[in-house]
Amino acid sequence: MIKESLIADFEKILGKENVLTSKESLKAYSYDGTTSWIHEPDVVLFPTSTAEIAAIMKIANAEKVPVTPRGGGTNVSGGSVPIQGGIVLALAKFNKILRIDKENMTATVEPGVVLMDLNMALAREGLFFPPDPQSFLGATLGGIIAENAGGPACVKYGVTKQYILGLEVVLPNGDVINVGGRTLKNVVGYDLTMLFVGSEGTLGVVTKAELKLNPMPLARKTIMAVYDDVAKAGENVFRVLEKGVIPNKIELLDNWVINRIEEMMPMGLPKDADAVLLFETDGIPEAVEKETEKIVEIAKKYGATDVRVAKDQAEADRYWLARRAGFAAVFGKAPTVFAEDVTVPRGRIPDLIRKCKALAKKYDLEIVVLGHAGDGNLHPSILTDIKNKDHYDRAVKAMDEIIEGAVELGGVLSGEHGIGLEKQKFFRKVENPKVIDLMKGIKALVDPNNIMNPGKVW
Amino acid sequence: MSSDLKELRKIEKDADQCMKCGFCSFFCPVYQEEHMEPAVARGKNFLVKEILKGNQEFTPEMGEIIGKCLLCKRCVANCPSKTQIDRVVVGARAQMVKEKGQGFIKDFVFRKVMSNRKAFGRYVKLASKFQWIFPKGEGNIRHLPDFLKALGRGRHIPAIAKTFLRDQVNEVNKPQDGKEPKLRVGYFMGCATDFIYPEFGKKVIDFLTKRGIEVVVPKAQNCCGAAIYFSGDFETGRKLAKDNIDAFKDVDYIVTACGTCSSTLKDYKVYLPDNEEQQKAYETFGKKIRDATEFVVDVMKVNLDELKLKKEFEGKTATWHDPCHLIRYQNIKEQPRAILKALKGLKFAEMPNADQCCGMGGSFSVYHYDLTKKIAAKKMAGIKTTNADIVVTACPGCMINLIDNVAHNKMPQKVHHLLELVE
Repeated sequence: MIKESLIADFEKILGKENVLTSKESLKAYSYDGTTSWIHEPDVVLFPTSTAEIAAIMKIANAEKVPVTPRGGGTNVSGGSVPIQGGIVLALAKFNKILRIDKENMTATVEPGVVLMDLNMALAREGLFFPPDPQSFLGATLGGIIAENAGGPACVKYGVTKQYILGLEVVLPNGDVINVGGRTLKNVVGYDLTMLFVGSEGTLGVVTKAELKLNPMPLARKTIMAVYDDVAKAGENVFRVLEKGVIPNKIELLDNWVINRIEEMMPMGLPKDADAVLLFETDGIPEAVEKETEKIVEIAKKYGATDVRVAKDQAEADRYWLARRAGFAAVFGKAPTVFAEDVTVPRGRIPDLIRKCKALAKKYDLEIVVLGHAGDGNLHPSILTDIKNKDHYDRAVKAMDEIIEGAVELGGVLSGEHGIGLEKQKFFRKVENPKVIDLMKGIKALVDPNNIMNPGKVW
Repeated sequence: MSSDLKELRKIEKDADQCMKCGFCSFFCPVYQEEHMEPAVARGKNFLVKEILKGNQEFTPEMGEIIGKCLLCKRCVANCPSKTQIDRVVVGARAQMVKEKGQGFIKDFVFRKVMSNRKAFGRYVKLASKFQWIFPKGEGNIRHLPDFLKALGRGRHIPAIAKTFLRDQVNEVNKPQDGKEPKLRVGYFMGCATDFIYPEFGKKVIDFLTKRGIEVVVPKAQNCCGAAIYFSGDFETGRKLAKDNIDAFKDVDYIVTACGTCSSTLKDYKVYLPDNEEQQKAYETFGKKIRDATEFVVDVMKVNLDELKLKKEFEGKTATWHDPCHLIRYQNIKEQPRAILKALKGLKFAEMPNADQCCGMGGSFSVYHYDLTKKIAAKKMAGIKTTNADIVVTACPGCMINLIDNVAHNKMPQKVHHLLELVE
């Protein structure tokens, strides 16, 4: 439990209205987007400046109080759950877009800016921030950076780390540092910016970020291709890329997802298809036309049974809505869902999918596959019920084997969700102990009192 | 916990739907102002589930949290797992009222005043005598019901009618052409129309009887119950439902020109049923309810090109505000726009945030007037971009709030009910 006197100190720094201690408020900051990780903090603080955060960190460090930074709380790793209590540093009010530099195509933001709000502001300037975690309606830039988030557009644009030029960070001892800068190239010493990107809030609090932007594509097209064998869909992914077309998204839905979506909102997806790929091309109109033609041609040549090009934006929107509804469909169908985040080298997607199907049979489970086929990041989801012990145990075994299988295929256990609490046991299992030791050494150097988001990652 | 949580058990399934993705935060007008988790659907839902699990009680703060929701249903409309958070919030309020009561003021206002048409009228009349006090009143008229008291906090409010609608119209109004009626329609007036805008009611009756429809206006009709049952007083809500069901027998449809009333009457079945008999009665009643906008377009199928614009609106530009109770509670979006666009001589300009709540939320604005003003400011910004001369809507509740905020923001726009535009 936190000392009473500290609450008074925080109230002095932030004002009473930005310090929450009621048991109702603490409960409301005990969870994130995961199903089962829940732990209450002792206090929730709402700073709106770097100076306030530095002052809070100084106190927390001196008193050895855990601090868990939190943005939109949309993460699915347990990352923003204050698992050891202490302070939740809620950054949602620290949310100004400080500058949009059209000429240099950069933006400077505070950590609480929500990605959708940023992209709406950027759109007015003809710009956009390409990394697209599908939680964009609630996810904040601070969290996106801390989790090194990615999404469907990774195929062409990559993930968050490719778009962070510089950061202002408050260290656990309250010191404020600036790492990186505003330039596209920068090899001045170690790349400390990347130390904080993906650090899951365990090394410091990002208080300002310099983002690299892209010009808004002038045209987009969506192509839906239908396959009677999910492995053919997997092959199609690299066939398209090998022929020199880089769509910005290639998403995969399996038969189960297609059917659930059709139940929820009928939109004419082929119910008997084994898999559907959704492609999106973007860029200048002529190139988009050409790339679309090419994708249609390749898909047909390599075994798609049906290929449709969305006639207009409304049709395209329907397909992408279906893709987004996929996860809701999965979560709505079972009391407990393991949403995996394994990622394999692109060419091994068919192998991974076959592995999932075999495990579903072996353990008599429903394992649904959807995800970002274009970058090898799949979300095999196991439907189970934590209250049904036998079923749940089988699900756990299947999940273990999926992860082992992905690693055997040359992949990793998380592509975009992070380790947090959810994947700790696998992390310890598959990561080289010497690598973990090195990470722990860095953590001890930056955060000797282990106050920043303690209990996470390893 | 000693309580059986009867009302809360009814919404347990709804609460379990939430997968905590947090997308609701983007759509919640209250969260967008406060940026705190208890403000948003996900937070409220989590806390309600804690009550269901026995980990949380109906503390005053809990009451404050579930009270701070406009019930605008934007989160519901955009929820990937389709959680009916409105049912969760209203169910929790009902459980709380059951366990803790609702306090003397609400008890008095809901049970003694609003649920008794004559008494309500008397109080409104009394309040009207004090109208001169309102702009600088600042809450010093304590003997009046609190909702009227709150109206006095520097708020610009429309004047209360000299003669209420009820005292101006007949119970039965035959088609004007003297022929056999094509349809027999019950007209539900609603409090705001009865007490503040009686001319809307007369307009509805005239419009329908001109087109061969018989309109009955039962004197026994009561308040729709929105302010009452959305606050959790289900007991009074059920009484009002029964009054209204009994008042409107033998009609083909029941029509109202208040978006909140039409949705409230339709949705007795969603929130109130306590047994199967009620469920059935509410469903049967709900099927007959039509908002005036959908009745004109979908049922009467009026040739909209024949509608005439009133002279005073000739050459003006109109923008449309979607009341929550039309667009999200009843999926009525195109009908009013079709009418506006068909009116020759009127220009139509869509505002960018037409579907956003104006911030009124019935009694929400009584308790959280400052938040109401902040939320309305965003609406006002949207209106400004259209350069419209008039803001048109079809809910007297929204109108009251829009009028107030147009005035606060010193904007030139006038606010009108869609009915007012039609000759």
